[in-house]
Amino acid sequence: MQAEVEETLKRIQSHKGVMGTMVVNAEGIPIRTTLDNSTTVQYAGLLHQLTMKAKSTVRDIDPQNDLTFLRIRSKKHEIMVAPDKEYLLIVIQNPCE
Amino acid sequence: MRMSTGPQPKKSISFISTIKGTQTKGYSGANQSRMALSKTLTIAPEIKAEKMSISTPRTVIQVIDAHGVDVTPRPLYHPDPHTGTAKPNKLLTSREGSFAAEFISSYSLYQNTLNPSMLGHFTRSVLGSSIVSKSSVSTTESIAEDLEEPSYKREKLTSFTDLRVVRATPGKIVTKEDLEKTIEIILTETETLRFFNLPTVMVSVESEEAMKVRRRNKNYETLCRNRLGNDLYAERMMQTINGAPKNKDVQCDKIVKEDKGIMSTAWDLHDSYIAMELSSLPAKQSILDSCGKANVPSKDREQRVPGSTTEKDSEASSLMDIENVILTKVRDDEVDHSETILKSDKFHQDLFFMERVLMENIFQPKLAAYRQLPILKEPEPEKPEDFQEGEKLEKTEEEGQKEEEEEIEISTGQSTIPANLERLWSFSCDLTKGLNVSSLAWNRTNPDLLAVGYGHFGFREQKRGLACCWSIKNPMWPERIYQSPYGVTAVDFSIGAPNLLAVGYHNGTIAIYNVQSNSNVPVLDSSESPQKHLGPVWQLQWIEQDRGTTGDDKREILVSISADGRISKWVIRKGLDCHDLMRLKRTTSSSSKKGGEKEKKGEALISRQAPGMCFAFHPKDTNIYLAGTEEGHIHKCSCSYNEQYLETYRGHKGPVYKIAWNPFCHDVFLSCSADWGVIIWQQENPKPFLSFYPTTYVVYDVAWSPKSAYIFAAANESRVEIWHLHISTLDPLIVHVANPGIKFTTVLFAKQTDCLLVGDSDGQVGVYELRNMPAALDSGRGDVIDILIGSKSKQPG
Repeated sequence: MQAEVEETLKRIQSHKGVMGTMVVNAEGIPIRTTLDNSTTVQYAGLLHQLTMKAKSTVRDIDPQNDLTFLRIRSKKHEIMVAPDKEYLLIVIQNPCE
Repeated sequence: MRMSTGPQPKKSISFISTIKGTQTKGYSGANQSRMALSKTLTIAPEIKAEKMSISTPRTVIQVIDAHGVDVTPRPLYHPDPHTGTAKPNKLLTSREGSFAAEFISSYSLYQNTLNPSMLGHFTRSVLGSSIVSKSSVSTTESIAEDLEEPSYKREKLTSFTDLRVVRATPGKIVTKEDLEKTIEIILTETETLRFFNLPTVMVSVESEEAMKVRRRNKNYETLCRNRLGNDLYAERMMQTINGAPKNKDVQCDKIVKEDKGIMSTAWDLHDSYIAMELSSLPAKQSILDSCGKANVPSKDREQRVPGSTTEKDSEASSLMDIENVILTKVRDDEVDHSETILKSDKFHQDLFFMERVLMENIFQPKLAAYRQLPILKEPEPEKPEDFQEGEKLEKTEEEGQKEEEEEIEISTGQSTIPANLERLWSFSCDLTKGLNVSSLAWNRTNPDLLAVGYGHFGFREQKRGLACCWSIKNPMWPERIYQSPYGVTAVDFSIGAPNLLAVGYHNGTIAIYNVQSNSNVPVLDSSESPQKHLGPVWQLQWIEQDRGTTGDDKREILVSISADGRISKWVIRKGLDCHDLMRLKRTTSSSSKKGGEKEKKGEALISRQAPGMCFAFHPKDTNIYLAGTEEGHIHKCSCSYNEQYLETYRGHKGPVYKIAWNPFCHDVFLSCSADWGVIIWQQENPKPFLSFYPTTYVVYDVAWSPKSAYIFAAANESRVEIWHLHISTLDPLIVHVANPGIKFTTVLFAKQTDCLLVGDSDGQVGVYELRNMPAALDSGRGDVIDILIGSKSKQPG
C-alpha cells in the first residue's frame, strides 16, 4: 500500500505539465514537496485558507455535503487541491502544452 | 354670570396674563357640577384669536351679554373628533407650544351643564387654545381623570367642525349620478378628550365660593400671624438621626475579560448536533479535534465550552512545544503523523483522483472527442487555453452522456474530407513496452474500462505476460496490472459479475481475477484442474446461456477454445469445473469429401485434434456457435451435440484467427485468417460469400462495427482497414498504415462512441476516432442481407 502510494505520487510528479506537487499537513508543514520550502509554505498557507472558505461555503449550503476537490484555473496554470482534515494535497499543472 | 369675550378687559384672575405665551390654562376639572363650571377661567380672547387660525364655531349656544352682544366664547381648542373617547374637561395644554395650524381639530365645547337652560352659566372649559398634537391625545387620555361624565359625551352642545377632516378615499368609481346625488355629510363631534386636569387653586372673586375662600385665606393669614408669638405654637427643632456612614473596601481578583467571536455557520451547528447524537466521550474528543483552529467552538454548547478551553490549552501547549528548545521531540511527532497521513486510505484516494484530474487536463480534447462531446472548433486561438476553456465548458462530467453519432452525419454532408482514422491517444506505459497486444475486451457494465492482454502469439517469442485493466480516464497508467510468467492470449469480462476478468494464458491456464480488489492473485485458477487446456487458450468468452430446463434462467459459463482442440465450458462452482463442449476433430480436406474418395490412409496425423483458434457464439441463439480451426475450417456446432458439427465452412487456407457474427444481420459472419484473407459468409452457404484479400499480410483480427451492418475493421500486420460494404467491396474505406516495425494485432470497436481501438505489437493500444464516415443508410437493418445479396448475387462466392 505504501509502495503504491509512493508510486502514484511519483507518477503524478512526473506527468507532463506538472509544475509541482505538495503534500502538507494541517499545520502547513510540508510532508512531501517538489518545490522549495518557501513556495510550499506560501502555497500551503494561502490554499489552506481558501479551502476552508470553500468548504465552509459548501457546507453552509447543505451541511451534509462536503468539499472533495478544488480546482483553480488561472491564466498560467491550474492549481488542484484535494483537501482533508489532516493534510492538503496540492498539484500545480500547466496543462496547455 | 356673563362671560366676556372679545377685547373687553378681563375680569378674570390675572394669572392668565402671566401666562402669555404659553397656552397653559388652568382648567377646571370639576365640571361636574355647575359650581365647578364657575371655576373655569376665561382666556384672554386675544390669545385665542392668535392661535386659532381657522375657527368656525358653530355654537348652538350663544352667550349674549347684557348689551346683547354676542359674546359666545370661541373655542380655543379643537380636539380631533377622530381620536378616541372624548373626555370632557380635560385638556392638555400643549407645553410644546406647537400651534401648528394643521392640527386644529375640532373639539367639543362641552357643557358642563346638562341642559341648554344653563346657557347663561355657560362656561367654556376649554380654555387652552392649545393645540393638542395627535400624539399626545392618546397619552393624555390616560391621564384623564375620572371626572368625566358619560353624559358629557352626549352633550355636544357646541361642536366645531374639524378643520382637518380626513376624507376617506372613495372606494368606488364615482359616477355621474353619484356626483349629482345629494350627499349628506354628517359631522359630529367626538367625545372630548381630557388630557390634563389641574384643579385650579384660584377662584374668581366673583364666584360663589369666593367668600368662602376669602374667609379661609384670611383665617390662614391670621393663623400665620398669630403663630409668631403665640403660645400655642412653639418652635422646636428636631434632629434626625443620621446613620453613621461606614466605608467598606473589597478587593477582588482582576476580572479577566475575554472576547470571543464565532462565526456560527450552518455546518458548524450541524456538526455539533451530529456529534451530540453520537454523544459519548470519544465523540467529545472528536468535537475537540474537529473544531479546528479556524473555529472557535460555539458558545451555545455549554458542554463544549470547557472542552474548547482545553483545546485551546492544548493548542497553546503545542505552540509552546514548538517554541520549545527541544525540537527533536516535535519532529518525531510530526514525522509519525506525516507517515500516517501518507499511509491513510483517504490520501490514496485523493492521489487517485488527482491523477485522474491531471489526466483529464492533459487529455482533455482527446477525451472530449472520444466521448463525442461537441468540440467548439475555435479559430486557431493564440492562447490554447481558450480552446480548452471552450471544451471544458462543453464537457459535462466524466460519465457524461454519450450522444449517438449523428455528429458525423452533419459534417459529411458538406465536407469533402475523406473518411479517416484520427488517432486520439494510446494506452501505453513503461510496463507494456515491447509486449504484443493479444486481446482486448470491454467491461460489460463500465464502458470506460478496458482489459488488455499482452502476450506473444508465437511459441518462440514467449515472454512474460501481462493483463491490464485500463480506464479511459487515465490513459497513462493502467488501473490494474496482473503479471504472469506466461503470455496472455485471451481476456474477457464477465457479464453477470462485471468485476470478474477471465484471462487465458499461453500455457493453457485460465485465471479469473477480481478487478475490484487490488490484489494480484487470481480468484480462481485452472492450473490445478485436471482438465485444463494443454495448449494456449486462444479465446475466452463468457456466455449467458438460457437453461430453461434446469430451472436457472440464465447461467453464465466461460467458454474457451485452445490449441489442444477442445472447446470447453467452465463453470464456477467451488472452483473451475470444466466440461468439454466439443472436441475439434481434424476433418479431411474438402476435395476428398467432395469427390467421395476415401481418406488417404497414409496420412500420419500428429494429432487427431485440430487446434482451435477462435469461436463465436450466435448472438441470438446461444446454443449455436462457430469455431475456427488451424486448418482453416469453420465449424458450426451446437452445445447440445459434442460429437458432430452441424456444418463446416471451408474457404480459408490458413488458420482462422477470428470469427465474428454480424450484430445486425444474424445470418452473416465474418472471418479472417492467416491466408491474408477476410471472408464474409452466409450461414446457410458453406461457401464464402465475399472475400477480401487486400494485402499479403496475415490478418490477425476483424470486428464488425456496432453501429452499422456494413462496416467492419480488419487488422493485418501492416495496416488497419475499415471496410464499408455498401460503398465498396473492393477497397477498404479507410486504411491506416502502421509505423514500420509495428504490427497491428487486435481491433476492437468502442460501443457507443465512434472509436476504434487497435492494439499493436509494441504494447500500445491506440484509440482512433472514425471521422467523416459516410452517413448511415436509412434502410432498415433487417434488409441488410437482402441488399448485400442483391448487389452481390452475381459475384461468385
